[in-house]
Amino acid sequence: MNGAWKIILLGVVMAILGLFALGLENDPRNIPSPLVNRPASDFTAPALNGGQPVTLSALRGKWVLVNFWGSWCVSCVAEHPYLMELAQKTKSRPDFVMIGVDFRDTPAAARNFLARHGNPGYPHAMDPEQKIAIDWGVYGAPESYLVDPGGTIRMKHTGPLFPGWFEARALPLMEGGKTP
Amino acid sequence: MKSPAAACLLAALLLALPVGAATRDEDPTEALVRHIAKDLRCAVCQNQSVYESNSDLAKDMLRVIRDKVREGQSEGVIRDYFHQRYGDYIYLEPTTGGMNRLLWLGPFVGLLAGGWALLAAMRKWRAKPTATPGNDPPPAAPDAAMQERIRQELEQMRL
Repeated sequence: MNGAWKIILLGVVMAILGLFALGLENDPRNIPSPLVNRPASDFTAPALNGGQPVTLSALRGKWVLVNFWGSWCVSCVAEHPYLMELAQKTKSRPDFVMIGVDFRDTPAAARNFLARHGNPGYPHAMDPEQKIAIDWGVYGAPESYLVDPGGTIRMKHTGPLFPGWFEARALPLMEGGKTP
Repeated sequence: MKSPAAACLLAALLLALPVGAATRDEDPTEALVRHIAKDLRCAVCQNQSVYESNSDLAKDMLRVIRDKVREGQSEGVIRDYFHQRYGDYIYLEPTTGGMNRLLWLGPFVGLLAGGWALLAAMRKWRAKPTATPGNDPPPAAPDAAMQERIRQELEQMRL
């Protein structure tokens, strides 16, 4: 009886320590998005360059990286060089495109941003009242979603994309599970 | 002479009646918007509701709520809309369904289990002395060596 209690107590203590250890790895700011593995909500919005409106569903059949940003966002400046690099590197890929959603912003400020930090060349949808951003469960900028060819959100990345993100995070998904 | 003065007074009193007070009331749309927004967390400011927060995101969320209320969507539908996009985090008051029920009921279950364990232990403590008084073997008489030691110690104490 006594031995059994000791084992139970040890088990409980180990379980609590285990939970603590798991908690150390957890970033409380990183709230998992319930949108992952759900169909991406479609949008059509005016393009920053004034041309054809940007429509997500028009890109079906390709993996789409949707990058939410704003010229007011400081981390976006840090992220920008990688977006430039990624756009350059994936230009020849037939299965991958990038679009930006510039929210809570004015076209003038956004153009200014691109003039100063470089223009990666992919289209940007304008979302001045952040309707698209709220529809996509965006907390802040930058946040990025990877949408698969079937139009399902497969991944969310909160914060700036890091150099090597495409190879480390996106490619395994793109090569592993095609369309679910 | 008297009646016009009385009429004037009556008119003045009637004008003072809060008849028009109803128009000051909030329109029902706005009341529902506030009701919904008060239990939605402003996603960027941790512990403020969408209604109270001054952040841009909260203002735009409020606008989205207002648009949806105007479209005639019900409270449940609007709450679900945000829940589907932001998860449980969006509710200021956590829901009681699903895995969350464990969190709500856990403490009470723990309290009950602890109370039961304490009760069982107390019963055991109380039962021990009354149940075994006669069963204790009588203390053995100290042998010679022990008696000698006791004597020595008593001597030392007498110092």
